[in-house]
Amino acid sequence: MPAGIPYEDAHKRYRPGVMPTVRSDDGSVDELLKGYHPDHGPNARVVLSVGVNRGEPCQPDLARYLQANALIDDVDIAGAQLVTTDVLVIGGGGGGCAAALIAAKQGTRVILATKLRLGDSNTVMAEGGIQAAVGDDDSPQLHFEDTLRAGHFCGVPELVAQMVMDGPDVIRWLIRLGMMFDLEEDRPIGGNLLRKKPGGASAARILSYRDYTGLEMMRVLREAVDLDPGIEVWNRCPVVELLSDEWGRCAGAVIYNLEWRTFVLVRARAVILATGGAGRLHLNSFPTSNHYGATADGLVLAYRIGARVRELDSFQYHPTGIAYPPHLAGGLISEAARSAGAKLINGKGERFVDELKPRDVVASAILRECAQGRGIEREGQIGVFLDTPTLEMEHPGILAKRLVTLRHLAHKCGHDAAQEPFLVYPTLHYQNGGVAIDKDGATSVPGLYCVGEVTGGFHGRNRLMGNALLDILSMGRRAGTKAAELGGRVMASRAGIGHVHAWQRELTLAGLPLHVKAPRLFPDYAHFDLRVDAGLHSSARG
Amino acid sequence: MEKLNQVLLRDDIRVGADLDAWFARGGGEGLAKALQDPGAIIAEIAQADLRGMGGAGFATHRKWTPVAAAPEGDKYIICNGNEDEPGTFKDRFLLEHTPHQVIEGALIAAVATRANHVVLYLNPHQPLCLAVMRQAVRQWQEHPLFAVIERMVGGRVALRVVASSGLYIGGEETAVIASVEGGFPFPRRKPPFPAEQGAHGAPTIVNNTETLAHVPGILRHGAQWYRDLGVGSAGGTKLYSLSGDVLYPGLYELPMGTSLATLVFQHGGGMLQGKEFKAVFTGGPSNTLLTKRDLDVALDFDSVRQRRSRLGTGAMIVVSEGTSIVRKVAEYVSFFAQGSCGQCPPCKGGTFQLMRCLNRLDTGRGVRADLEALENLCRILPGSGRCGLIDGAVTVVESSVNQFREEYEALLMA
Repeated sequence: MPAGIPYEDAHKRYRPGVMPTVRSDDGSVDELLKGYHPDHGPNARVVLSVGVNRGEPCQPDLARYLQANALIDDVDIAGAQLVTTDVLVIGGGGGGCAAALIAAKQGTRVILATKLRLGDSNTVMAEGGIQAAVGDDDSPQLHFEDTLRAGHFCGVPELVAQMVMDGPDVIRWLIRLGMMFDLEEDRPIGGNLLRKKPGGASAARILSYRDYTGLEMMRVLREAVDLDPGIEVWNRCPVVELLSDEWGRCAGAVIYNLEWRTFVLVRARAVILATGGAGRLHLNSFPTSNHYGATADGLVLAYRIGARVRELDSFQYHPTGIAYPPHLAGGLISEAARSAGAKLINGKGERFVDELKPRDVVASAILRECAQGRGIEREGQIGVFLDTPTLEMEHPGILAKRLVTLRHLAHKCGHDAAQEPFLVYPTLHYQNGGVAIDKDGATSVPGLYCVGEVTGGFHGRNRLMGNALLDILSMGRRAGTKAAELGGRVMASRAGIGHVHAWQRELTLAGLPLHVKAPRLFPDYAHFDLRVDAGLHSSARG
Repeated sequence: MEKLNQVLLRDDIRVGADLDAWFARGGGEGLAKALQDPGAIIAEIAQADLRGMGGAGFATHRKWTPVAAAPEGDKYIICNGNEDEPGTFKDRFLLEHTPHQVIEGALIAAVATRANHVVLYLNPHQPLCLAVMRQAVRQWQEHPLFAVIERMVGGRVALRVVASSGLYIGGEETAVIASVEGGFPFPRRKPPFPAEQGAHGAPTIVNNTETLAHVPGILRHGAQWYRDLGVGSAGGTKLYSLSGDVLYPGLYELPMGTSLATLVFQHGGGMLQGKEFKAVFTGGPSNTLLTKRDLDVALDFDSVRQRRSRLGTGAMIVVSEGTSIVRKVAEYVSFFAQGSCGQCPPCKGGTFQLMRCLNRLDTGRGVRADLEALENLCRILPGSGRCGLIDGAVTVVESSVNQFREEYEALLMA
């Protein structure tokens, strides 16, 4: 990457309050994406050699994890405690909580296991808001079209249609659970929901609470789960492998209790994976906005047991991740800033893209500026300016009232958002694809359901802001309903990790290494090794 | 590899129900020889030392001789195709791909013993086998050769396909007879043996599918040919169902007496993940385990018997260092507990108790008393049932405790 313009020079050239027009470009959107988006280019994808999607493209770093060996052997779970339940939910974010709540409501026994604590998730970090077609100048049809278009028409129409139709009801459900939303007249109660227009949408339909919508949402979901006597919450209990029965159906999971350093086998009629995204794999060496636990655990395990996946060569890079200071690199600066009117300025003081274009376009534009030498360089970090001072000048008090988190973030970065712009660079933000599911969240493996970011088919090759929060709740509730319906079926007698042996055979025959193990459970820099932590038999080979 | 799939599983004879194709590829020649000299059939089978492939390894001619000697009247040849042991998957292949090989063997048996009933007793969990066999049977009934057979036997021959109950216990010899008679497959006391008193009181032979499949070849090429196919003093070929922690699980026809090491490492591709070989459930889950020091054993009935184990159906369920013995034993004993017909209280209660102790041990709730209870049950249960199910369950438990006591001990809570 060519050097950027030194920060001091760029800062001298920068004028708050000045709003240049966007520099016109001779290239098309297509050329911009193909030239600069990480989803494109010679190293953007490899072909999978094993598994259900053998022969199809996948991001290279992710392919390494998908095609890795299991963490455990049969002998490692000898003597492990056996627990049975009706529905096992894995993941303590919005999707997992929604699924657990609805399943428990139908009277089934639910265990919700999370490798961190209930609520630790990408959901809690969501700021901008949730999309729902509730306005009288809006319709689910428009929401549907916006979503498909932003996803470059790769989304599954039936799934998208169901999601957008669920929108209004999901909002009602959240309100009934006690979630607060910003209102038009800024009254604590009564009045209409405040709606904002996100990038790529044709109507204002983002509903929010300040700029910490996810936190507020997770507050009510967590409380609801905590208070529900039908849901048993297991904190600090990552899933390390799924269980299968003799017919290859998902029959439960192997859970590792981090506190007691023991394995527990959980037999369930249905398993719902709501394990989130893959940001902490730092694909393509990008920093990430994701929480610590986003290591694609569920994706790896679902693929290993035979679930179909889709669009694993497509990831969303959020345009405005913190670039400086380095220790906060990747942290998210909400799209709410751009929705409110903040502009992006390069090292030459130019605006170079319409800030309200879909995220992949804006991110590619920033990458282009940096690649072509118009980025701003500060202590080894490169990026462009997000002009918050000008925003404050145009809407006095907005930082204090509506964009509270933004102001707080600036403080953490060591500056006053009203005085200084942020230095931003795209950050690995969202997994567009994932496990393929049907309208009830069922995967191609009987007994296995997936909800949320781990799934694919909603957002095509690019997600709209606010659709992720809708996706997890819409599908979370549906999967919870469907999983609970399985209550009447007889559980298979014996479950084990037979599917792992079949997988190991495939790896060996494809010439893939057996020493690479997945899921990671924690990022590289956590230096966590399950075999060491659990005191497992050492295996010299494989 | 040269020695693989030479006879029963030869590529060119996998013609399914097509009788003309079967005849075109050498099928029918065994039957033709048999029809030329019916009195010499059993001698040829005895000379070849054909053994029962359903698990017991009993000399086949010793079942046929008394039935041949019995006076004129109803006699039954029953092909046992109920195959339901974990780890055994040979009969279904023969039934689906070379049904005529099996039927021809059964018809030769009928000619040798002048049996007027030939029953192909099949497991409905293999619907494809049922369909193919029904088609195959129809073709025989319409063939002019069938009339020749009937003349030899001395009257009408009823050749039919009967679907079993699909239950595991329905594979036991006397249970087969009960089922063919139209009743629930409850095993019966022996004596009387089926050869004297079987289906509807008539002399009956119950032979495994694979056993009958070997018969046409023996008649066609002679006993010496058959003997020469084996390794050492063993004769013929054997269908080995290889499964478990190997790279290439599957069905392998090899010379009888092929070593375990050859089967696992040469044909089976070696151990999965390159892990160490730990044990093999020989002949299925009802037998003694063989361990690393038995890798050189010749897989024939007598050699395996010398190592205090049994060849059984020839199923080899391989276990590597990465797999828990206790877990597998618990799995198999659960299978037996579910498969027990319930007639004999010691088996019904015994398998249940064995399973309970094993599950406690396998899920970290076992105490020393559970291990002692297992050993005690192994002492008092053998021989307490009408059939061998309880004995098989005890054998595998006892063997695993003797060979892998440390694994059991490691799981104890106290």
